[in-house]
Amino acid sequence: MRGVIGAFRELDSTVEAIDALKHRRLGEFTVYTPTPRHEIEHAVDAPTSAVRRFTLIGGLCGVTFGYWIAVWISDYWPLVVGGKAIATWIPYTIFGFEVMVLIGALSTVAGLFANARVPRITTTVGYDARFSHGDYGIWVEAAPDKIKETEELLRKAGAVEVRVER
Amino acid sequence: MATVLKPSKTDVTDVELLRRPNFATGDVRLPAVKDYEQVDDEVVATLHPTVAWFMGLGVAIFFLLIGASAWMYQIHEGLGVAGYHPPVMWGVYIITFVFWVGIGHAGTLISAILYLFRAGFRTTIYRCAEAMTVFAVMTAGLFPILHLGRPWKFFYLIPYPNWRFLWPQMKSPLVWDVFAILTYLTVSTTFLYIGLIPDIAVLRDREKNPIRRRLFSVLSLGWRNTDREWRHFSRAYLFLAAFSTPLVLSVHSVVSFDFAMSLVPGWHTTVFPPYFVAGAIYSGIGMVFTIIIPLRKWFGLKHYVTINDLDAAAKLALFTSLVVGVAYMTEWFVAWYSGNAVEQQFFANRIWGQWWWASAILYTCNMVLPLSLFSQSLRRNTTWLWILSIFINIGMWFERFVIVVPSLSHEYEPWQWAGYRPTWVDYAILCGSFGWFSMWFLLFIKQLPIVAIAEVKEIVKPRLRTRHLQAVDVTGHHAPFMPDTPGEFD
Repeated sequence: MRGVIGAFRELDSTVEAIDALKHRRLGEFTVYTPTPRHEIEHAVDAPTSAVRRFTLIGGLCGVTFGYWIAVWISDYWPLVVGGKAIATWIPYTIFGFEVMVLIGALSTVAGLFANARVPRITTTVGYDARFSHGDYGIWVEAAPDKIKETEELLRKAGAVEVRVER
Repeated sequence: MATVLKPSKTDVTDVELLRRPNFATGDVRLPAVKDYEQVDDEVVATLHPTVAWFMGLGVAIFFLLIGASAWMYQIHEGLGVAGYHPPVMWGVYIITFVFWVGIGHAGTLISAILYLFRAGFRTTIYRCAEAMTVFAVMTAGLFPILHLGRPWKFFYLIPYPNWRFLWPQMKSPLVWDVFAILTYLTVSTTFLYIGLIPDIAVLRDREKNPIRRRLFSVLSLGWRNTDREWRHFSRAYLFLAAFSTPLVLSVHSVVSFDFAMSLVPGWHTTVFPPYFVAGAIYSGIGMVFTIIIPLRKWFGLKHYVTINDLDAAAKLALFTSLVVGVAYMTEWFVAWYSGNAVEQQFFANRIWGQWWWASAILYTCNMVLPLSLFSQSLRRNTTWLWILSIFINIGMWFERFVIVVPSLSHEYEPWQWAGYRPTWVDYAILCGSFGWFSMWFLLFIKQLPIVAIAEVKEIVKPRLRTRHLQAVDVTGHHAPFMPDTPGEFD
């Protein structure tokens, strides 16, 4: 994977570079930011995160399992009290709720990992340690014939350092 | 009188410091923090161990060993050494269990509920509060086990296929507790860790020691701060906060069911769930003050955890103390209005009889002293806030004492009425629980950032090449406020 990486000191320079890259279509790009910024989110204009689907499915599975395990246990090992139901849904709502939260939360984390593509083995290509510190960055996976153009674009937008990486 | 700050020793002169006091304004929440690099430098600087920290850790481990020794003695001799005497078969262990679960609740309130409500003051204190939650729940979880005659069989409460073909009684509040506490511990730990991932990436990128760097690499899961990662992270964080919010309400409600589902006078009341939840949040905020006020001084973080943030948290403590006060009065009223002689007798005994001293401590600490927080100058006086927080902790422990012991010692049959006196084993294990909690907390604060670096950067103005006042969200909605009052914790 070959591309160009540019480091920016300012937020508005980064946003300008993103707009220009989208306009010129020089290749797929990744933006680095030390903290989430709405300006970058709007400039990138990515689709809504799919994590919510993991949360919903996990929560539904959890609530189903929570009720089921309580009812199944009560039927399998009945503690019979005269006039009382063997399995009753009102106290079992506690299990339904708790297991919904548990499985829903863990599914959300699984959704985060799957969608954000973490854990990641290496951070070396197309990354610079300054991007977790105070600088913004853009990594462009440009075709060999567009490397030069990409470098120029990033510099013009205000990049303080531009380098080609493979 | 403004607090003179020492935010950065590298490039800020004294004159500049005096020109930039710790005043928030409408659009700048952390005026003494000028850029992202300063946040990294100052927060990471807090991670270097000091002699005082080692001494503190040593004291915590010493207390823990005292508690562990007492527990070993109890296992050898039996539960009788713990001061139990019929009919009072719940004592310090259950009191302390409820106390520590309650402590945890403010952490989740601050980190999750206030996140959903977009309360800006949570940003700088939530990491501390969330870590407190995890360690408090870890501590609480020990007490039901300590309370068992055969603690090595605690796993019988967990429903799993087993050779005994035995399953727990799913209608028992104790089994509800197991589900509630385990879920709470898991979700709180997950929430803490997910929030830590970007900050661990900061540590990874700054670490020089190859072993620690490798460790941080693994813990940060290769986090790179990409727009894709942040997009999914923000959404996942929101959902985790949304899950944690009802969890705060449910867990202590379930804990209150341990009492409210019985027919014991003083326990069998529908006010218990909201009363327990409000009390839990109140006690947790007290513990947050106990921890954060010294930490912000020792770590030089007064310009992050500002007086404004503490003021807002103090208002929350005041509100929850009022809710708790109403719950106490509701209990009295219902006992009187019910016309139930047993209930009335019990409350008379609790307030004027055998346990008057415990009730006096409880009502003084939880209803009277917090009224001082109506005064703005006292809310902004960190010395008073810290002293008050100690009273809150004491008051909330005694609240649980007053719930557990007087009810059991004064049930229906007068011939059963008895007293209760904790033994040295109870006190040693109580000390051990504080040692256990403090040990984990002290280890945490020197390994991982106590202030959420990435979230604090969100409320610091980003660097701009040109002025775009309308385009940049600086996330500051606090009204201008008075300078720091005399009484700042020094």
